[in-house]
Amino acid sequence: MNTAPAVQKTSIALAVLLLAGCATVNINESIEQTNQELNGFTKGQLSLVQTDAQRQAMAAKASDILKEPLSQPAAVELMLTHSPQFQTVLAESWAQAALAAQGGRIHNPVFAFERLRIRDELELGRLLSFGLLDLLSFPARQGIARTQIDRAQLQLTGNVVDQVTQVRQAWVDAVAAQQAHTYAQQVFESAQTSAELARRMQEVGNFTRLQRARQHSFYADAAVNLAATRHKATSSREALVRMLGLSSEQAAQLKLPERLPDLPEAPKAPSEVAKRGEDRLDVRMAKQGFEASVKSQGLGNIASFLDIEAGVRYDTDFENDTGERSNKKGYEIELALPIFDWGGMKRDAMNANTLAAANRLEATLRNAQSTLRESYSAYRTTYDIARHYRDEILPLKQTIADENLLRYNGMFIGVFELLADSRDQVNTVVQAINAQADFWRADAALQATVVGKPMTVSVSGAAANAGGNAGGGH
Amino acid sequence: MTSRRDFFKAAALTGGAVAAASVSKVAMSALPEPVLQTSPDTMPPLVPNTGRPYNPVVTLNGWTLPWRMNQGVKEFHLVAEPVLREMAPGMTAHLWGYNGQSPGPTIEVVEGDRVRIFVTNKLPEHTSVHWHGQRLPNGMDGVTGLNQPGIPAGKTFVYEFEARRPGTFMYHPHADEMVQMAMGMMGFWVTHPKNKHPLISDVDRDYCFLLNAYDIDPGAYTPKIMTMLDFNLWTWNSRLFPGISPLVARKNDRVRLRVGNLTMTNHPIHIHGHEFEVTGTDGGPTPKAGRWPEVTVDIAVGQMRQMEFIASEEGDWAFHCHKSHHTMNAMGHDVPTMIGVDHRGMTKKITKLIPDYMVMGERGMADMSEMQMPLPDNTLPMMTGEGPFGSVEMGGMFSMLKVRKDQKPGDYSDPGWYKHPEGTIAYEFTGELAKPARSSGAGQPSMKLAQKQQPHIELKVRKPTGHAGH
Repeated sequence: MNTAPAVQKTSIALAVLLLAGCATVNINESIEQTNQELNGFTKGQLSLVQTDAQRQAMAAKASDILKEPLSQPAAVELMLTHSPQFQTVLAESWAQAALAAQGGRIHNPVFAFERLRIRDELELGRLLSFGLLDLLSFPARQGIARTQIDRAQLQLTGNVVDQVTQVRQAWVDAVAAQQAHTYAQQVFESAQTSAELARRMQEVGNFTRLQRARQHSFYADAAVNLAATRHKATSSREALVRMLGLSSEQAAQLKLPERLPDLPEAPKAPSEVAKRGEDRLDVRMAKQGFEASVKSQGLGNIASFLDIEAGVRYDTDFENDTGERSNKKGYEIELALPIFDWGGMKRDAMNANTLAAANRLEATLRNAQSTLRESYSAYRTTYDIARHYRDEILPLKQTIADENLLRYNGMFIGVFELLADSRDQVNTVVQAINAQADFWRADAALQATVVGKPMTVSVSGAAANAGGNAGGGH
Repeated sequence: MTSRRDFFKAAALTGGAVAAASVSKVAMSALPEPVLQTSPDTMPPLVPNTGRPYNPVVTLNGWTLPWRMNQGVKEFHLVAEPVLREMAPGMTAHLWGYNGQSPGPTIEVVEGDRVRIFVTNKLPEHTSVHWHGQRLPNGMDGVTGLNQPGIPAGKTFVYEFEARRPGTFMYHPHADEMVQMAMGMMGFWVTHPKNKHPLISDVDRDYCFLLNAYDIDPGAYTPKIMTMLDFNLWTWNSRLFPGISPLVARKNDRVRLRVGNLTMTNHPIHIHGHEFEVTGTDGGPTPKAGRWPEVTVDIAVGQMRQMEFIASEEGDWAFHCHKSHHTMNAMGHDVPTMIGVDHRGMTKKITKLIPDYMVMGERGMADMSEMQMPLPDNTLPMMTGEGPFGSVEMGGMFSMLKVRKDQKPGDYSDPGWYKHPEGTIAYEFTGELAKPARSSGAGQPSMKLAQKQQPHIELKVRKPTGHAGH
């Protein structure tokens, strides 16, 4: 009997199977998909930089972007294309997807070769074996792999949202801190002017040492605040630099706009953000998780009982005495006997995992709307507070400043009161900037929450800090 | 439109032209119709056309209340009500007063007149009228609770008594007095002598006004009634310089000034160019032996002083309270003194923070009257008033006595700025200055300091520069 063709046939069948149904991963397609999913979010700018040519193109683009003061969308673009940290996220996602795809492949057949000698007898054993269950469960495992790849895809999307939100917030922090620093500088100058004027007042005998010391102490305090805000401006700028992955030269080029963007004309309506729910990332991830559990449970149920190895055997015996040789061929099947372990615990664990996944899905569905409401509330509250600063508090402070100047003109108050008032007004401006920054952070968080990456943001209610704190540093 | 004077004449003749709107005609039918005054200008004297004749007074930025004779009784009608008082052009206050103005109209009667005064209360709270300095029945003295119940809002009370003693008096509420006086409720009362009086001379011009004070925050309209001493508007008849009318006289007129003080501090009233004698107080005419020449008389709180002089010197003579803060309009009392403080490099820094900032006070306060800078609403500059030689740099209790030889008798109109005869104005010296003689030895301290003061600052006197040869 000729067994060779049988082996051949089996091999061909396996090869066909592999070619026909193996899960593969193309990272560029995956990135493209994320781009599409997050169309409004990343503006399709996501790409994995793999070649030197690409790297150079990105560097050129980065230096183009850095020529202008960096807007928030430009910061996002810069990070997506340029940041090594972000490229790490992409590469890791690729690795994850590739590993997931690996799980969907058939294990390689095992070829065993034996050479046994019994006195004059030499036996050469050849065994080509493969996991039968592996083969039988191939379609199921392929499904699981597909799910895992999809999951990796979702994970990537989630990570992108995360990173984009972080860079947006880092940008807001940096611009706000820089603005606060500018105003702290004004407070400092006002205090410095008061101190200098007081010094001259004492010099000509119009002020007592006490009066001068009081003015000087404002100055001394303002210097501390100025130093603190300067560091805050530096540290938040550097945080942004890290998010963007800028080199020292690029960091030196980085210019931030002088002001945060104005508040939008009107806040987003709740209906604009509430309609999405089913297609949110977190919901989809939970669904994927649940499906993966169900699928792997189907397979796992069998695998927990059985492990079948099938092999094709082709042995040759040599009789030294006679110089005869004879061939043996056949097959062998190896079964693990479930005597000690019927796999009950394994199945329990899988059941539990599936149950957890089902509940997780349910919880995620419920949380999704709740986090959206919370995030919207933060967005709306910070918008209202920032608008209140813009429309109510700042004009009021302006009125106070104007009226104080009129009172100074009429000699109802002196220049020191005028300067003290100007410090007060500037502190309110700093609070207004903080309120505006709170809004833009909440806006970024809401955008992330809408696509399904819930983010919480603290609403400070800047008015609570009203007065006192000269120069911000919040 | 009729002129104010025509209006006033008509009002005097008919016994009332403008009736109080919110008190019903029927209810008021028994009363003389109240006459209201809408102008803060000085009205010409009201020459009596009924009752005993007398030589009327002129109320500075005020007027005299017309009356009607009712079976030999002089009937007046005072309406206590909220009013708008222009304290000077550009500033109007929400005050309480009588018959449209604060202070209320001057009441002029003759010694021995039977007087009946209807007082209608259109204030939100009860009031009363106390006839300061008068001899009258106790129940007519107007102290709420003590002599009478308060006049409730919306009611009319009647006071009736005989003007027994000639002299100068005041009237004001004695109900919630602190508030009602702080709000401007007061008025003048003059009882003319029936016959020739040995201590009361006939005069050609007889001016009267009340001293009053308000605390109105710059930009506000209503006085702060809780203020006790730190008033910021020092007024004559609720008017401020430059809103106070000048006192005019024909050369060699005998002029009488009657000044009552209803503020919470004394006022040394000072006149330039003339000496006067105090010829009367609210107690009556001063005995001749007790009169002595003055150029300033201190008028204490609640007092009235009557001064007389011959306006013998032509010119525009300052006439004012000698407390220099009282010749200023509203100002801050905590503003630091900036005189002599070097502002170099500072102004630029401050204008960076406060763009419209301007240095003031570096050379003193006179800048204030020269710079035209925006002020809070309803606020007058602290020192102001444009004279023929520039700013008069005054405010508050300041006016002028204008003596002219060609001023017609009975003409109270402003004759304009005085035209100085040649060579009678101070002029700039342009010659060489001799070295001043200075004492070297005199004036040693009588006792030596036990402990020497450490001179830790260099005192600097800032002198005007640019004049060679000093």
